[in-house]
Amino acid sequence: MSSHANNDNIQALYEGDQSKLYSGVMSHHSDVESTESKTQIKKIWKVFWVLLAITIVEVFIGMQLSHSVSREILAFVYLSLTLVKAGFIVYVFMHLGDEKKNFMVTVLIPLVLFVWFIIAFLADGSFWLHMNDTSKARDHGTEQIAK
Amino acid sequence: MSQATATTAQEPNLWGGGRSPFNVSYGKMMMWFFLLSDALTFGAFLISYGTTRFFSAVWPDANTVFKSFPFLEGHNLPLVFVSLMTFILIMSSVTMVLAVHAGHYGDKKSVATWLLWTIIGGIAFLGCQAWEWTHLAGECGGLWGTFTNVNTPVHEYQQFFNMENKEVANMLHTQPLVAMQSTHNFFNYFFTITGFHGGHVTSGVIFNILMLVNTVNGTYERRGHYEMVEKIGLYWHFVDLVWVFVFTCFYLL
Repeated sequence: MSSHANNDNIQALYEGDQSKLYSGVMSHHSDVESTESKTQIKKIWKVFWVLLAITIVEVFIGMQLSHSVSREILAFVYLSLTLVKAGFIVYVFMHLGDEKKNFMVTVLIPLVLFVWFIIAFLADGSFWLHMNDTSKARDHGTEQIAK
Repeated sequence: MSQATATTAQEPNLWGGGRSPFNVSYGKMMMWFFLLSDALTFGAFLISYGTTRFFSAVWPDANTVFKSFPFLEGHNLPLVFVSLMTFILIMSSVTMVLAVHAGHYGDKKSVATWLLWTIIGGIAFLGCQAWEWTHLAGECGGLWGTFTNVNTPVHEYQQFFNMENKEVANMLHTQPLVAMQSTHNFFNYFFTITGFHGGHVTSGVIFNILMLVNTVNGTYERRGHYEMVEKIGLYWHFVDLVWVFVFTCFYLL
């Protein structure tokens, strides 16, 4: 096999200079004043303004509308805005958008478990409340419930 | 990234060995996987909080609990202080990503400057959190394990509830102990989750200080790259990411 021939070479790569193993950060961009660099910085600040605007909207809703709009609608709006913020942070600030697609998928797929976690546990919580509301325990006095 | 595609085109055998199929270093990949496991930990905390909240008939109202601001005692300022904390953390995330960016270009001076700003942001956030904790524990009497005594008078915890809501007010009147139990749970979760997050911020600040020292000493310059800034940057952004969710779960919902 051809790979045997340069085994030592590969060994040297792992222990020493790794620049041939991956390009990512190793690829030196030299000029921080280049247009590429400036576009990137502009993008970072744009994301900052987006995050700030979303936070201001959230706080405004929290202060002004939280007692007048139904809880379900509020929860939907808040969670959507939160996911948008999270997406921007992961995609731009953490540079996941710049990684290779199969790495992105490897990192993100385990998080799908959360869909099931959230549904299962919250459903269990509300079922508990339902049982509690309909049980006789309440009639015997509040101490038992509170305990 | 354009460099990534260029490398792929050269070598068609992606998994043949001799280079990273994901085009990332071992350390960076492991940082991602660590963050993944940390996300599951924080997720478990927040889902547990959500479950408890779902099985509670009443729950303290964020606008009523978090309404204070340092030096402006007595004013009703819901969410203002936590907005400031959120702003500080988002800002420190920006300075961190600018440090990472400067590191990509080997710009030692900028890396040091932005790291310093990130450290300042982190410490400012921790200071705000220290104030909030002191305020809640002192004036509000809430900490881990508080509100367990059944003889606690209602007025000590009804300040945390939205008494303008008739249903809530009625609940506190007829079954005050249910509300006290909720208050107890609320403070336990609040201090555990924000404490765990604050612990992450603290260690992030320590890592950033170590990196600042290394940067100024030229350690990364001699190494030829600033990948450490990128790896700790991932950690720092993750801490900001967690705060986004903590902010929603505790202060908004």
